[in-house]
Amino acid sequence: MSRGRRSAVAAAVAVPLLAVTVSGCGSTNLTAGRLQASIAATFANLYVLQQAEQGNPRPSPRSLDSRAACQKGGTPDIPQDGSGGWLCQITYLVAGPGYPVIARYNVDVQTDGCYAADGDGPASVNGSPIITGPGYQQVINPLSLIDGCFDTT
Amino acid sequence: MTEAGFAVEALGVTKWFGETTALDQVDFRVGPGVVQGLLGPNGAGKTTLLSALFGLVLPDEGSVRLFGRTRAEAGPGWLDGVGGFVETPRFYPYLSGRRNLAVLAGLDGGDAADLVDAALDRVGLADAARRKVRGYSLGMRQRLGLAAAMIRRPRLLILDEPANGMDPAGIRDLRTALRHLARDGVSVVLSSHDMGQVEEICDCVTVLCRGRVAFAGGLEVMQAGAPDPVWLLDTSDDDAALERARQGGGVKAGRRDSGGLVVHAAQDRLDAYVLDLGRAGVAVRGLELDVTSLESLFFQLTGEPERGSPGEQSPLARPPRREREPAGQEVR
Amino acid sequence: MSLAAGRWPEFAGPAAGAGRRPGVLVVWRLEVAKLASLLRVRAIAILCMIVPFLAVAGLNLQSATPGDTPFGQWVHVSGLAIPMVILGFGAQWLLPVLTAVVAGDIFAAEDHFGTWKTILTRSRTRGQLFAGKFAAAVTFAVAAMVVLTTADLAAGLLAGRQPVVGLGGQLVPAGHATMLVIASWASQLLPVLGFTALAVLASVATRNPVAGVGIPVLIAWLLQIVTLINLPAWGQQALLSTPFLAWHGFWAQPAFYGPFREGLLTSAGWFAVCAAASWLVFARRTIGGAA
Repeated sequence: MSRGRRSAVAAAVAVPLLAVTVSGCGSTNLTAGRLQASIAATFANLYVLQQAEQGNPRPSPRSLDSRAACQKGGTPDIPQDGSGGWLCQITYLVAGPGYPVIARYNVDVQTDGCYAADGDGPASVNGSPIITGPGYQQVINPLSLIDGCFDTT
Repeated sequence: MTEAGFAVEALGVTKWFGETTALDQVDFRVGPGVVQGLLGPNGAGKTTLLSALFGLVLPDEGSVRLFGRTRAEAGPGWLDGVGGFVETPRFYPYLSGRRNLAVLAGLDGGDAADLVDAALDRVGLADAARRKVRGYSLGMRQRLGLAAAMIRRPRLLILDEPANGMDPAGIRDLRTALRHLARDGVSVVLSSHDMGQVEEICDCVTVLCRGRVAFAGGLEVMQAGAPDPVWLLDTSDDDAALERARQGGGVKAGRRDSGGLVVHAAQDRLDAYVLDLGRAGVAVRGLELDVTSLESLFFQLTGEPERGSPGEQSPLARPPRREREPAGQEVR
Repeated sequence: MSLAAGRWPEFAGPAAGAGRRPGVLVVWRLEVAKLASLLRVRAIAILCMIVPFLAVAGLNLQSATPGDTPFGQWVHVSGLAIPMVILGFGAQWLLPVLTAVVAGDIFAAEDHFGTWKTILTRSRTRGQLFAGKFAAAVTFAVAAMVVLTTADLAAGLLAGRQPVVGLGGQLVPAGHATMLVIASWASQLLPVLGFTALAVLASVATRNPVAGVGIPVLIAWLLQIVTLINLPAWGQQALLSTPFLAWHGFWAQPAFYGPFREGLLTSAGWFAVCAAASWLVFARRTIGGAA
């Protein structure tokens, strides 16, 4: 029985040590490119949903032509990959090509490729967690908190 | 299995556990319809040898054949017709006696399941069969173990100290049952550390000591070569009794620490000695058989110090017979 | 009748086990029957059935929503978000425990009761006993997952059949969402079976029921911590905790199945290695008969 306990303790110590040692070798797939592609597309779909919930006419996601620019830690000076806090700016078109709108998000990316993006302006787009529908009912603002996942393989 | 073949043929069996040699070039043969005793003090290797017969322990050297086949040759049918247990029989405590046997019968296949009730009835557990095994006494577990062996229709029965925990009536019944089985052609291997139990039932005996065979052969051969039995004698005049013993007549006597004498003599010499004491005016107040001649031989073979040897009082000495056997057991 | 009542005619005849030799199936059936009579197993079955409904009730009683987990914000809007939240929250922590409680004990219990020598001296080989017990442990894992999935789906549908917002921002109608919920829960079976084999290995190697259950649970929880480190892609793939998350791709727009394929390989690898190691340890073991 002590043999079993010893193995358990050994595993408890060895596995994290091994993991930390190994974390430098090889690259991670949590890149800015994958994050940007995923959050831009997700934003577009959710924008359409938000407009529908508010009773407004629904644009097609393609017409929004949404693009994202994400930076880890908000500064280019640190390695731009891996889990952690990112800042994303999503540029999209509502009133035609000449008038881009920028939505900002604080994005927390996890090691499994899923992220939670907290809206950081403009207030009318993602500032408030609640929006009002056409019948004055209160619904969740789909753009306030964005949950998404991208492929890490 | 031909009539001439051995039920068990183990040759040159050797087993090490780390630094310890549990069995050292042990040969062990059991013929059909023979009741074979396997004797030895605790730690001699009896359990290891029986485990090897069952395939629970894989020998490092040597071969084990049951009904003429090794484990490799026989495949899954190796233990067909073989039943019994090693050490105390163990069962699932959270199941009843009957359900335990049902599980084992299921593992056996064939018609073992039909024999469960008959077996329980035979060993005297028909009433207790519905109770969970965790409430069984040691004697009941031994009986259940025998029932578990019998549902396999064994031609070879291997029992490790089966009388352990049984009352004297149970032990007598067990002896009778085993003799009946042997007469039907079933070979029985019976292990024990107590020569007295084995004497009454076994045809042949193998004695193990520290992993080696100290003696193997028929019981009569053993008896012929055995030293004299040991008796405990209480007299009215120990000094005179010792003096008479010293004068010859094939009787050796010495003082016991607890008072009285210990006497080594064959039955007829002892009779003559007692009569002689009477003629000399020494009264015999108590006479008791302490160690049979076979037990004496057993101690010799296994290096255990003999009880009551004159001048010797070893801490390993066994208590006198009357303390060893439960009350009611008749002394020969 | 008694021991001394003369001969034993009913026990004469051809030995048991001769003729038809059923094999592993018999062992499996007996092991499953033994499992079904254990209090622990019945308790787990009942818990699997009622906990999802308790979760639904619990969520309904409060207006706050679970943060930090996908679908968390939608639990009051879409009933089918609830089984997904339960999955996201609890799967990696609790499912390994669920299987380890049986798989980590099914071999070590025989050591605990001293019954190996009892069942190894019947008409079954070690291989048949090993395979039957292993299969019974796998059967329990599958059965528990089926019960849990069904209960979660039922609880979710009971809570409402509104469309669910997927992980790509798309609106998923109830019918398709039901399929995705089933697929997501079903995908958990792969790493669960990996942990089943790991628990069997712990059980066989330590011969101790507590260690047999405790070690895989400890490893599962340890992996949860290790997975937070920024390991390289191959490192994350090797962990047995990662396949629990393969379902994310099912809900994306467009759906991606890379993590599921990798999870399949990882789970199969852990399963094969642990099962093989368990057999190697068990096959040559000495049962009792110590010096």
